[in-house]
Amino acid sequence: MSNLMDNRKGRQHLLMGNEAIARGALEAGVKVAAGYPGTPSSEIVESLSRVAKEANMYVEWSANEKVAMEVAAAASFAGLRSMCTMKQNGVNVASDFLLHLAGSGTRAGMVIVPCDDPGALSSINEGESRYFARLVEIPLIEPGDFQEAKDMTKWAYELSEEIRNVVMLRSVTRMSHASGNVRFDTLPRDNVKAMFKFDGFILDQMEGLVISAPVDYKHAQQQEKIKKAREIFEECPFNTYTGPDRPELLVITSSACNLYAKEAIEILGLEDRVGLLKLGTTWPLPPNLMKKYLSMTDRVMVIEEVLPFLEENVKVIAAEMASDIGIKRFYGKNDATLPMVGELNPDIVVSGMSRVMGIDYKPVPDDYAQKAQLYATTKSPNRELTFCPGCPHRASFWSIHNAIELDGRKGFVCGDIGCYTMALLPCGFSTLKTVHAMGSGTGLASGFGKLGQFGFDQPVLAVSGDSTFFHTTIPALINAIHNRSNLTLVVLDNSGTAMTGFQPHPGLEKNAMGEEVPAIDIAGVCRAMGARVEVRDPFDLEETRNTLNELMEDEKGVKVLVLRQMCALSPEKKAKKRYEMSIDEEICIGENCGCDRVCTRVFRCPGLVWDKERKVTRIDEVICTGCGVCADICPAGAIKRKEV
Amino acid sequence: MKIYGSKELVEDVISRDMCIGCGACNFLCPYFRPYRGKVAMLFPCDLDKGRCWAYCPKAEVDLEELSKIFYGKAYEGDPLGSYEEIRISRAGPRMMAKGDFQAGGTVSSIVSLALKKGYISSAVLTDRKGILPVPRIVTRPEEVLECSTSKYTAAPTLSAFNQAVKDGYRNIGVVGTPCQVLAVAQMRTNPMEDEGFEDPTGLVLGLFCTWALDYRAFEEFITSRVDVSSIRKVDIPPPPAEIMEVYTDGGAKMEIPLDEVRKLVPETCTYCTDMTSEFADISVGVLEGRPDMNTLIIRTQRGKDIVDEAIKEGYLVVEEMPKKNLEHLRWAAGNKKKRALVKARDAGIVNTSDGKRSLLRLAPKTLEAIIA
Ligand SMILES: Cc1cc2nc3c(=O)[nH]c(=O)nc-3n(C[C@H](O)[C@H](O)[C@H](O)COP(=O)(O)OP(=O)(O)OC[C@H]3O[C@@H](n4cnc5c(N)ncnc54)[C@H](O)[C@@H]3O)c2cc1C
Ligand code: SF4
Ligand code: SF4
Repeated sequence: MSNLMDNRKGRQHLLMGNEAIARGALEAGVKVAAGYPGTPSSEIVESLSRVAKEANMYVEWSANEKVAMEVAAAASFAGLRSMCTMKQNGVNVASDFLLHLAGSGTRAGMVIVPCDDPGALSSINEGESRYFARLVEIPLIEPGDFQEAKDMTKWAYELSEEIRNVVMLRSVTRMSHASGNVRFDTLPRDNVKAMFKFDGFILDQMEGLVISAPVDYKHAQQQEKIKKAREIFEECPFNTYTGPDRPELLVITSSACNLYAKEAIEILGLEDRVGLLKLGTTWPLPPNLMKKYLSMTDRVMVIEEVLPFLEENVKVIAAEMASDIGIKRFYGKNDATLPMVGELNPDIVVSGMSRVMGIDYKPVPDDYAQKAQLYATTKSPNRELTFCPGCPHRASFWSIHNAIELDGRKGFVCGDIGCYTMALLPCGFSTLKTVHAMGSGTGLASGFGKLGQFGFDQPVLAVSGDSTFFHTTIPALINAIHNRSNLTLVVLDNSGTAMTGFQPHPGLEKNAMGEEVPAIDIAGVCRAMGARVEVRDPFDLEETRNTLNELMEDEKGVKVLVLRQMCALSPEKKAKKRYEMSIDEEICIGENCGCDRVCTRVFRCPGLVWDKERKVTRIDEVICTGCGVCADICPAGAIKRKEV
Repeated sequence: MKIYGSKELVEDVISRDMCIGCGACNFLCPYFRPYRGKVAMLFPCDLDKGRCWAYCPKAEVDLEELSKIFYGKAYEGDPLGSYEEIRISRAGPRMMAKGDFQAGGTVSSIVSLALKKGYISSAVLTDRKGILPVPRIVTRPEEVLECSTSKYTAAPTLSAFNQAVKDGYRNIGVVGTPCQVLAVAQMRTNPMEDEGFEDPTGLVLGLFCTWALDYRAFEEFITSRVDVSSIRKVDIPPPPAEIMEVYTDGGAKMEIPLDEVRKLVPETCTYCTDMTSEFADISVGVLEGRPDMNTLIIRTQRGKDIVDEAIKEGYLVVEEMPKKNLEHLRWAAGNKKKRALVKARDAGIVNTSDGKRSLLRLAPKTLEAIIA
């Protein structure tokens, strides 16, 4: 049995932040959870899917974040508490629905959980979901530790039902992925029946229509809800203050930065001089509470990630009450006390705070950078970002790269989001030339492919993962086909959402809860839309490359090549070798004319190792997955494969 | 002679559109590949010296050195190169009516005989798929006929030669244009000084050539005029015809003025000094006024032996070369040489000094004499 279903009140468990959020949802009696996988958010839906049967829940990985939010909202409308999770930029995808949902309001409690990724540890953006709460006028709360991650999640449902609107609970990587002890409450025993009521008075949110119109009426009602939330926030136990009554400096913070701020005050020994206001409710700010703490001192430092969201809101409120509390001096992002890009850490916060407090503090020794550089280059193994051994993407991009080079018309690939985004780098032969949002590769290609009338004559390609295909590639593909754009889409179908940990997607036969579901056939969908479709195994390099060249030369509309080969890490494939690989050292050309180490210098599968002393290539049998692809790139036939 | 590597090959030849796509640098390594008339470098190689550079007929060709190695004398700039005999010829009774030849069928006849009699183990020829020239390694005389007739676009024939060598073939016969023959000549000198090197050729048969067309340009040109899949043969009859003839299924013939076709000639051909494949064993071209005959130049003993055998076995019929034709041939070949050298000199890519790389090297006074 999973820890998460432990029903003994007061028991403590070591939980990851995301698990704590999941437990909070379980304690709140959430019945429906939906999400789209994205680091650092994925473990919430994953944890819930594991206990779905036991907890009598419905849990799904949706095709995209907007659909996930819609699925969760339907549950709320039918009287069930629900949750919806996503990574930061997922909120952008869902935001159109979110705007309207905030206008229509919700019935049973509904909480959306975006997990932001400051520093873009596993993203190509460090987008801010917090601004959406302000933009669409819904309450925003942010847990400051692991216990709060659970407790605030549970509380968020009460808040949502109190104001009958959706609540945003925002987490960040260091909150979602770090672990801490969490004390449990009990799980509810409920027996709810879902029912969507619509026969009531048209404007009755609970029994009438669920829409955001008439806008003037609904918008005013929504703002009443926000006012109510603000009142509730005045007394919220998740807003806490520690420090002296008259601090020299008031630090205002939230989320994971709470931990950094605490540490910085401790390291600098400022417990008696600095006060720490940790806010759990970050939008809208409760004015009375703010007034109380802002009155304590004239100097205020705001510590947050990434943009100065809290800082701006505090400044507005301070300006509004300036006649009562006096003029404040602010420190934060806008005055560059703290950086406005990237993740914070205790060091950065300590150095910012020490400057504000006039303390001479050196967070790291002078020669630290030098030493670090030395150790990094001499002591640690060289670990560049690369595809796994046996990864089908390496093979796919080898062929895509070669097809483009052979074609010789300066073709290029519009990239997309997934493990294969790494094909921007040498590990994917630097094949991708643009990468933006999910599905944007095909959208951009659709645009490029229409520029022929302006003399544009480069072949246009796009790549999309299988999960991305369902997420947002389909509309772009429809657009391209309908508008007779000229492009080749390569669908890198590795049978799973590999990047975020093999969550199922609509192309597979099992859903999040392990049930049998119908799989959507990508090639069939593309064919039905009218594209010319080919399906190949990317491990067959020659055939893949040939097909690509042929498709690129076919200038009549949209061509789709589905490259189907399971991810090397997929549970079905792991540890199963297709071939036993070996090297015939006698014929290995190595560094000489005729090869120049194409296997270890260019192809660079981690399973191939260059033996510097003996000047031959070796197979690292522990790492090699036995895919056999390298045998086809060796010009000497020195890499041998034997079927196992 | 200093040997450079792929970086310089890309810099001097490929990126300057000096590449004719002969195929000499292809398949030696995983990096240079031919594709539809163009050569692509798939990935950079970081070696300073390479066979790609050493073999390329458009990079640092030392005519003095080649002449010394193959003919034991200085390069004299004779329009027709060094030779033993010049004749005219056509397929003999054993070959006649067997195939569709470009002209007299001399090339196919000699190659067939050489295969049959074991002078060569295999032959590297140029077949076609549609209008795309496709290099081919053949080992049986019947296959020689499948590759007959000229493809007037430049072909990566030597990519198949490299593959044949890699596959272990020795005594290989190869038929190529003058640039290809020049590349083969450089290969045969073992420029990289590899240990255990053996000359892999058994017969080098050179074609005459004034220019070849750029494949991609020609494809675009011709597809807008005829259905490519119906093309059976393309011919450029000897002067003064001034046309390209395209024969299609059902016997139809289309004539295209040569002036239009000349626009599709790549710049690199205008730097080419060799019209008659001067470093081949045997060179073959058309004969003005006699579409059923070829001009035949025999340059080496090995070439002569094979021709003699071909005559003896009824594969080849030879006649004396009419004096008028010889004069004209000299004049045409001399013209090509002169024009190319003037152009190369003006571009500063012949006999350069101070470490600058050249297209060609030859004795300065020979250069002066040709240009004068
Ligand atoms: C591009 C090109 C330009 C030419 N220009 C002239 C010229 O200006 N003056 C002249 O007298 N003769 C020229 N020729 C030669 C002429 O067309 C005949 O090839 C030659 O006379 C031999 O005739 P044949 O009947 O013996 O050939 P066949 O017996 O029909 O055999 C032809 C042979 O040529 C080879 N071949 C065909 N196309 C190519 C190619 N693109 N590259 C390499 N090998 C090829 C084939 O492998 C085949 O073995 C040219 C040939 C080519 C390919
Ligand atoms: S590709 Fe083959 S020849 Fe080249 S280094 Fe690797 S094993 Fe050796
Ligand atoms: S060897 Fe031939 S194909 Fe290669 S660069 Fe030189 S001319 Fe081009």
